[in-house]
Amino acid sequence: MNSKSLSLAELAALVRDLNASGTSVVAPVPTRSLCGADYRPITELNQATLNGALPRRSLKELFLPASEVLLRYRLKKNDVELLPVPTTFTPQVILGARPCDAAGVAVLDRVMGWDYRDELWFGRRAATTIVSLACPGFDGVCFCHAVGLNPDASLGSDVLLVPRGADAYWAMPVTDKGEALLARGTFADLVEPAEVTAFRKAAEEKVAKNLASLPSGFHTFMAQSFDHPEFKAIASRCHGCGACAAVCPTCHCFDIVDEPEGMEGGARRRNWDFCATCKFTVHASGHNPRATQNERFRQRVMHKFSIYPQRFDAVLCTGCGRCVRACPAGMDLPEVLGHLYAAQAAGGVS
Amino acid sequence: MNIYQPHLMRIDEVVAETSDTQTFKLSFKDPQVAQQFKFLAGQFGEYSVFGEGECTFCIASSPTREGYIECSFKAAGKVTQSLKRLSVGDTIGFRGPYGNNFPLEQMKGHSVVFVAGGIGLAPVRSVIWNVLDLRDQFKNVTIIYGARSVGDLVYKRELAAWAVRHDVKLWTTVDPGGQTADWKGEVGFVPAIVEKAAPVATDAYAVVCGPPVMIKFTLPVLAKLGFAEERIYTTLENRMKCGLGKCGRCNIGPVYVCKDGPVFSAAQIKALPPEY
Repeated sequence: MNSKSLSLAELAALVRDLNASGTSVVAPVPTRSLCGADYRPITELNQATLNGALPRRSLKELFLPASEVLLRYRLKKNDVELLPVPTTFTPQVILGARPCDAAGVAVLDRVMGWDYRDELWFGRRAATTIVSLACPGFDGVCFCHAVGLNPDASLGSDVLLVPRGADAYWAMPVTDKGEALLARGTFADLVEPAEVTAFRKAAEEKVAKNLASLPSGFHTFMAQSFDHPEFKAIASRCHGCGACAAVCPTCHCFDIVDEPEGMEGGARRRNWDFCATCKFTVHASGHNPRATQNERFRQRVMHKFSIYPQRFDAVLCTGCGRCVRACPAGMDLPEVLGHLYAAQAAGGVS
Repeated sequence: MNIYQPHLMRIDEVVAETSDTQTFKLSFKDPQVAQQFKFLAGQFGEYSVFGEGECTFCIASSPTREGYIECSFKAAGKVTQSLKRLSVGDTIGFRGPYGNNFPLEQMKGHSVVFVAGGIGLAPVRSVIWNVLDLRDQFKNVTIIYGARSVGDLVYKRELAAWAVRHDVKLWTTVDPGGQTADWKGEVGFVPAIVEKAAPVATDAYAVVCGPPVMIKFTLPVLAKLGFAEERIYTTLENRMKCGLGKCGRCNIGPVYVCKDGPVFSAAQIKALPPEY
């Protein structure tokens, strides 16, 4: 399929058409405090803010909810009845996803499909079409370019939109799902116009200034630098609150707990959990393999930039910068990476 | 199929091993699952008490004994304390088997030395019975087992059975001060008894499991006796939730205990960062 031209009016009609046909539409919606936006369902396009702020939380929760029922159980005398939850979901279109968020979902497909296929994750993936909106480069913190993405990256997207002024978009289908979505309207073909190319180039140049690309061999350097003094120096500020992981598009650690619902049954849930918190790895005996905050902070950085790349050939970070903005202690991941780059350049394997 | 959905199992038998350790014999309620279920020595499962949650431990019975599984657990945390309150006829959940296994095929034709401490005998017991049920395929079998006190020894009936077998050399020991007046075994820490037993390393594999401090001091003794690191196997535990490589909890550096383990050679463990 050729790339298309979409006016704001055509996009608004598409939102109405999707809703009318039973497909829910999710888009960045301004928060009540008007400070940022959240991905929320919309019925009309004018409820969304498409050129506004980066949503406060990532797209992750639309596929891995913060708390999700895995199954329900009913207790009987000497017996238990299990009530499975559905693994098929209502179709949804995410409109105006940030490319870093769409990429996060694609990166997580690898672990969610690792030998055992997580049907709750992939059920939602199958039901969802992601329409990303190329980012102009959000602020001085984002570093998608450094982790191999870009403000117009199409990884994880089914359609990529690039703004053309204030009321039109250039739409590039990325997948069959994206083509099917664009086939719902009669949109005019449009070869990538010069203004779109200029937008993409300017955004890339802006973001590239925030942090240099991960050096070649970085994950190997990290794997050999487990005891690097840099970790100790950096981690002392971390409170272990887990805010960074909650807003992160790729942090996916979870807990599994049973929650009674009345006297005779309940739900087994998976809830987000955070490797930075002090009880995360504590054994029943009281022994904690990661007893200090330094070790817990190191785990988070190692998982993203060494363990996941070794295991799944992808960096577990899309450079969205939310962890920096959310941290009450001022931890700054790109700054940490900068220090580690310097250590690698200095040949500093301890 | 939802990978987090457990199978239901009935508790067929409960054995109180010590004051806080029990063994359950379990059978699948669904006959089709029972028929298809296969596992290998060293693999583990997620056991659930509905309303309390899941906990992780090894399958303590041998794959050669079909139609049931056994697990042994110490009432230490929320779920194991709830497990302890259950009795014959009750229903629990089980997901598994997960993880890798002891290299039984590789061990065939060789001698095997088992070294275990405390509840660490549970995973080792699976291999012991696996080997004893195929006894003619292995050379010498030595079992060295210790606990803090006589009361802390688990699988006492089986220790008695192994003690009278002529094709098994069994050493039992308790920590100094843990003996009773009628104790006929050794008195001393496991590593010292391994040194005293001095099993021959030629053509042999060692399977070691127990408290970290026991493993720490046993490995140098085995090395001194001539066991290569590649021929010493143990099973690691780290806190786990999913058992499936998703929940991000059990890793030791780049290694996921649930997927790459729980069985590792001493050589593999040496290469890991000290986060276990």
